[in-house]
Amino acid sequence: MLRPVGNVRAMFLAAVALFTTAIWGAQDKPGAPAPPPAATQPAEYAGSQACQLCHEDIFNAFKKNPHQLVETGNRNGWATRACEACHGPGGKHADSASAADIRQPAKLKPADTDKICLTCHLNEPTHVGRINSSHARNQVSCTACHSIHANGPNGLVARRQTDINKLCAGCHADIWASFQRPYKHRLPEGAMSCVDCHNPHGSFLPRSIQTVNANEPGCFKCHGDKRGPFTYEHPPVRLEGCMACHQPHGSANPRMLTRAEVRFVCLECHSNLPTPTPAATLGTVPPAIHDLRLPRFQNCNLCHQKVHGSYVSRDFLK
Amino acid sequence: MRYLLALILIVPALAQQPEQPAKPADQAAAAPAQTEQKTESPAPAATEDWITGSVDFGYRWVSDAGNFESYRSVVNLGQGPKLTGIDFTILDPNKRFFDRLDARAYGWGGDPYSTAHVDARKLGIYDFSFDYSNIAYFNALPSYSNPLAPAGFDEQSFDTHRRNTSLSLDLRPGKTIVPYLAFDRNSGYGHGIDTWVQDSNDEFAVPTLLRDSTNNYRGGIRIEWCNCLHVTLEVGGTTFKDDDQATFSGANYGDNTTPLLGQTLELTSLQQAYGIRGSSIYTKALATASPFSWLNLYGQFLFSEPRIDVHYTDLATGNFALLSELLFYSGQQNIGTGAANQPHTSGNVGFEMRPFRRLRIIESWMTDRYHDAASPLDAEQILLTPKTLGPDLITAANYSQAVNYNQQQTDVLFDLTSRLTLRGGYRYVWGDATVLAGPLSQSGPLAYGQLSRNVGLAGLTFRASQKLSVNLDYEGASSDRIYFRTSLNDYYKLRARARYQLAASLMLQANFQVLNNQNPNAAIQYNFGSRDNSLAVYWTPAGGKRISVMGEYDRSTVSSSIDYLGLFLSPAVSAYRENAHTASSAIDIALPGYAGLTPKFTAGGSLFISSGTRPSSYYQPLMRLSLPLQKHVSWNTEWKYYGYGEQFYLYEGFRAHVFMTGLRLSR
Repeated sequence: MLRPVGNVRAMFLAAVALFTTAIWGAQDKPGAPAPPPAATQPAEYAGSQACQLCHEDIFNAFKKNPHQLVETGNRNGWATRACEACHGPGGKHADSASAADIRQPAKLKPADTDKICLTCHLNEPTHVGRINSSHARNQVSCTACHSIHANGPNGLVARRQTDINKLCAGCHADIWASFQRPYKHRLPEGAMSCVDCHNPHGSFLPRSIQTVNANEPGCFKCHGDKRGPFTYEHPPVRLEGCMACHQPHGSANPRMLTRAEVRFVCLECHSNLPTPTPAATLGTVPPAIHDLRLPRFQNCNLCHQKVHGSYVSRDFLK
Repeated sequence: MRYLLALILIVPALAQQPEQPAKPADQAAAAPAQTEQKTESPAPAATEDWITGSVDFGYRWVSDAGNFESYRSVVNLGQGPKLTGIDFTILDPNKRFFDRLDARAYGWGGDPYSTAHVDARKLGIYDFSFDYSNIAYFNALPSYSNPLAPAGFDEQSFDTHRRNTSLSLDLRPGKTIVPYLAFDRNSGYGHGIDTWVQDSNDEFAVPTLLRDSTNNYRGGIRIEWCNCLHVTLEVGGTTFKDDDQATFSGANYGDNTTPLLGQTLELTSLQQAYGIRGSSIYTKALATASPFSWLNLYGQFLFSEPRIDVHYTDLATGNFALLSELLFYSGQQNIGTGAANQPHTSGNVGFEMRPFRRLRIIESWMTDRYHDAASPLDAEQILLTPKTLGPDLITAANYSQAVNYNQQQTDVLFDLTSRLTLRGGYRYVWGDATVLAGPLSQSGPLAYGQLSRNVGLAGLTFRASQKLSVNLDYEGASSDRIYFRTSLNDYYKLRARARYQLAASLMLQANFQVLNNQNPNAAIQYNFGSRDNSLAVYWTPAGGKRISVMGEYDRSTVSSSIDYLGLFLSPAVSAYRENAHTASSAIDIALPGYAGLTPKFTAGGSLFISSGTRPSSYYQPLMRLSLPLQKHVSWNTEWKYYGYGEQFYLYEGFRAHVFMTGLRLSR
């Protein structure tokens, strides 16, 4: 049995050491997040009841909102002052009724908006990939997707597949256009949503691809039969992923292939033109030389049907 | 699954059983508890509905012309009574089993994509989620399988369903320590047409029965401590089985109809069975921490070791040829066994540091390593006659493969002004792969590949005002080693995205994306370029109360060429071109109302037209009218048209009108 190589162990130990330091640092708290306000309510805080006087609709909707926990619970230290947890002290605003006297997270810089959300949500499992997510890098704030005041079947964020897709398409119009092609995953029909494959909070895989089971690409959540391991692996599946041959968002070609005819998907790698070392590429030599004039040799999949990997045949015949 | 649907329908009834009058003694005991409950999470007011939601059902007619197999491969909507949607939320005023239950199900009644989802939660006690989908995969495109047989259910066709079921249960959600359990199942079943391949002499289309399933069980604990540390420890296991079968009896002359040395090849019977069993156990640990206000850390480590055991048999009779021995024979039996073991290690660590108010530094490192050990064995027994044994052909291998991928990335983000953030970074990607070489390899049984790529990153985010925002991303790379001829080599990728709120009711959005990849190696000559430009307009006068309009247009081009050796090993170029126009729109109009009710009309749809290597067109216009009959009942009617055409494969085109009418009941 093969074991993980030594530098992986070293990495793991380094990670453990890093987190041990982190825990130690957190206990020390020289620069840890500010503790919740003291139990004694400072004068500038007005309390949620004061907010209700003018914003009754939001106040009532908020009762069914997941953030109601902030209002009623003690964990975050904002009990009875949930509104001011995000909007800041509201005493002055309550006196003046001026919008200028209250913090409006939706109008702040995205990084500042996120900072407010992360006051409570900083270290959560969904945020393991947050730092690396393209959303974070591109200053897409939490409130771009999450409606903090909203209530209803969707809660803070779209839950129905069609609503999720609509939300994502609001920015990714070019990607949504790919789903109008004839061969695509069934997103326009509402059978799937963008978050079935992508984690909007980020992932350690490229393009925020979801991971399933043992950190495998999210594709295998539905296509478990392609997961392997196979006794005869087709290297591109593992090395380049599904996108080596498929366009998952949509294609004009059957089975979402990158090329109009199957043979070109194969022949572009299995070219019989070996590249000299050191720039050698894998798979350049074809498994056999066929008479490509014959239709039966023009679709490689007719015989090599187990191209995702085979349990029995080295040539992926069965 | 029909029972599941019935359950979804019954749950609301069970959840609101008539309340029994409380006994005096019980009332006294219940009073403090109720007060406490109110503090935790206020119950809905007495006047509020305990259940809200809707049910959509109706009847669909489908009128199609053209290639029905293509219609099923692309659209696949069927005719008949349909339950198009159920969506409800229950707020249990008594909070007996749950505080809130959300359930929704779509596409039931024979539709190709049926889904169901249930969320139930009780504050601080549990959080339960159930998700189910059953998606039909039908594919019978003659142009894909055999262009010379442009009709019917032919080779490489399949009619299958894939089912996904997910269950997850979080205990004590919101607390410091949250144990959780989850189960996922993915399975496929159906039938298709595969080929049974007899060497390279002939291949015979045979009906197959496809069955596979993957079960995943996992459990763990999440620890969230004072908002500065989170640790998740998870252990999971996976089981897999694949029981595909093929059975045939009759006369099948295969795709090679030319006699071979005067004899016609024929398959008269086949019995083929796969018995694949797999299992895996994995351990995962992930953590995030914020030891200081200016530093966030994260890391993840995983180890898994999936294993597959192979049992395969096939028995075929007919008239076959073994050209290497100039032998004709009447049958063959294959027995395949073997195992594959694949230890998989992956890990990543990183941090985000903010040494100054305007500066962020993000560093990440990851590795992903697959090490395979496989030992397949295939024994082929040739039967000269049904009772006379011929030569044995044994294929055995015992080899190891390794795939190691590593990536290190550094990003620096600097707020030049309060409106402009600049980004710059560097990514280094490297790895190596040892894989089984092709049978004709001249360099041994294993092939070796390497990956080494340097990537420069840049970008900016500009928010001129609340109305205008611009994002720009650039990635340019140079590779010393790549795995495949078509891999990204020397490339640049540019993406720009802008949003502009032209007026209170009018918003514009534009996207631009370009990717250019070159590999000038004399034996490759790969040139790839793609562009994608899109413009979207959203017009919602008066907040969209009367009318709202959405329009999107996208223009994309792909151009690719790469050298290869074609017929008789003569140099050839694989060229692919695509020039596509895509447009979609939706216009929602609130029609003049009556009796306090407002009918709604929607029109729009999409079109896709492409030219190039595979010119095709796909039109999907739609119209929808929703007429409220009373406050909680509306009559919905929808017309959709699907028109698909291909210039080179005219026989694959279809035109279908899909008309549906039904009621929506809501509360």
